[in-house]
Amino acid sequence: MPKVKMPRSNPILDMTPMVDLAFLLVTFFMLTSSFKSPEPVVVDPPTSTTKTEIPKQVFMITVDNQGRAFIDLTNAAVKSRVFEKVCNRSGIKVDSLTVKKFAGSGAIGLKISEIPQYLELGANERTKVNQTGVPYDTTGGKSELYWWAYYARLEAHADFKAREEEAKTRKFPFDKSNYIQFSVKAAANAKYDAVKNVIQVFRDAKVKQFQMITGLEAEPSFK
Amino acid sequence: MAQIQESGGGGHGKGGKKRAKKQSTHVDMTPMVDLAFLLLTFFVLTSTFSKPKVLRMIFPEKLDEKTKDIKAPTVKDGITLLLTAKDKIYYYRGSLKPTTELIPIDYTRTGLRKVLVDYNKDLREKLQNIQERLNKLDEKDTAAKRKLDDEVLQVQTASKQIVLVKNDEGATYRNMIDVMDEFMIAQIAKYFVIDEGLAKLEKDLIKKQGN
Repeated sequence: MPKVKMPRSNPILDMTPMVDLAFLLVTFFMLTSSFKSPEPVVVDPPTSTTKTEIPKQVFMITVDNQGRAFIDLTNAAVKSRVFEKVCNRSGIKVDSLTVKKFAGSGAIGLKISEIPQYLELGANERTKVNQTGVPYDTTGGKSELYWWAYYARLEAHADFKAREEEAKTRKFPFDKSNYIQFSVKAAANAKYDAVKNVIQVFRDAKVKQFQMITGLEAEPSFK
Repeated sequence: MAQIQESGGGGHGKGGKKRAKKQSTHVDMTPMVDLAFLLLTFFVLTSTFSKPKVLRMIFPEKLDEKTKDIKAPTVKDGITLLLTAKDKIYYYRGSLKPTTELIPIDYTRTGLRKVLVDYNKDLREKLQNIQERLNKLDEKDTAAKRKLDDEVLQVQTASKQIVLVKNDEGATYRNMIDVMDEFMIAQIAKYFVIDEGLAKLEKDLIKKQGN
């Protein structure tokens, strides 16, 4: 029997379309993803059915399930100004390098006197520090958290005004959504009283509006 | 390697003419593809798509010298929710008496949601009616739209349904957010969170329930 000769086909595979696609996806994910800044605590917020998204600029108050409070601000310029003011008030001298470090440090939950020392540490050592939370106990007069809240409110307002002014002189449309808002991200199983006490401090500092950060829940049903 | 190099054609040509070696124009793309997919995997796994959602809450200013005498509203036919430890929730209608019966419910749609939706039926019907008219409106008719918005505010202000929320030390943040969420779903226009927490009588009544 004669052998059936298979035609020899060229085993070259053209990978160009696949590579095109792969790079397209890489580009897409690179551009859309935003990186989380390192957090000293991971909290699991409760869920709700609201659809409002988190504002662009926030003063974030994190409360973990032990009731420790951490603070962070998304706007680096405002964050460093608030830090300077709070340090000034407590009589702590900080140089511009420390302020810069603070602005890029992510959420922090320490007493103001401990912060400069903490900022000296490298990124790896920082994660090992056991943060005790910003003190908000009001028994001894105004707490440290109060002053953070107080200066953050003032600086947020000043920032908003400055931006509005700039938009006016440059004749840009003014984007109001960049206003720094106060958000509370609390662990679902934190005691409500702990969260309430933190909010109480902010109410003392005349901050009244809060965005409570929640996870997403399905549409409500009535059946 | 994704391709097998064919043997180059030099040397065996007819007539012994020396020809330049035919170089393959194919570039081996495998390492590049490897890298591309590595990056792709990294970004797919690290990116978070949904931004967290927020529940907007406005807290009244703290009571000062002038306003410290303001008392919590007393309600004739209102609902009072009592949030306690271990995700237990009770409610009662009207004002508190030693004979008041606490009704235990839960945070599900057949529990709290049903109670609130039934209670707020009146307002919900009115709001539904306004919403239907709003849907029928012409997009450009802003004046009529504003009028309907005002009407929403009016019916909300006129609403007689009031809910009070009290919590004891055991209640968690999740409980409070769940309750706030249910208020939004049931479109409750007036609710109050009592700072002081449970009254003594309420605590006693809960204890009695437990036995």
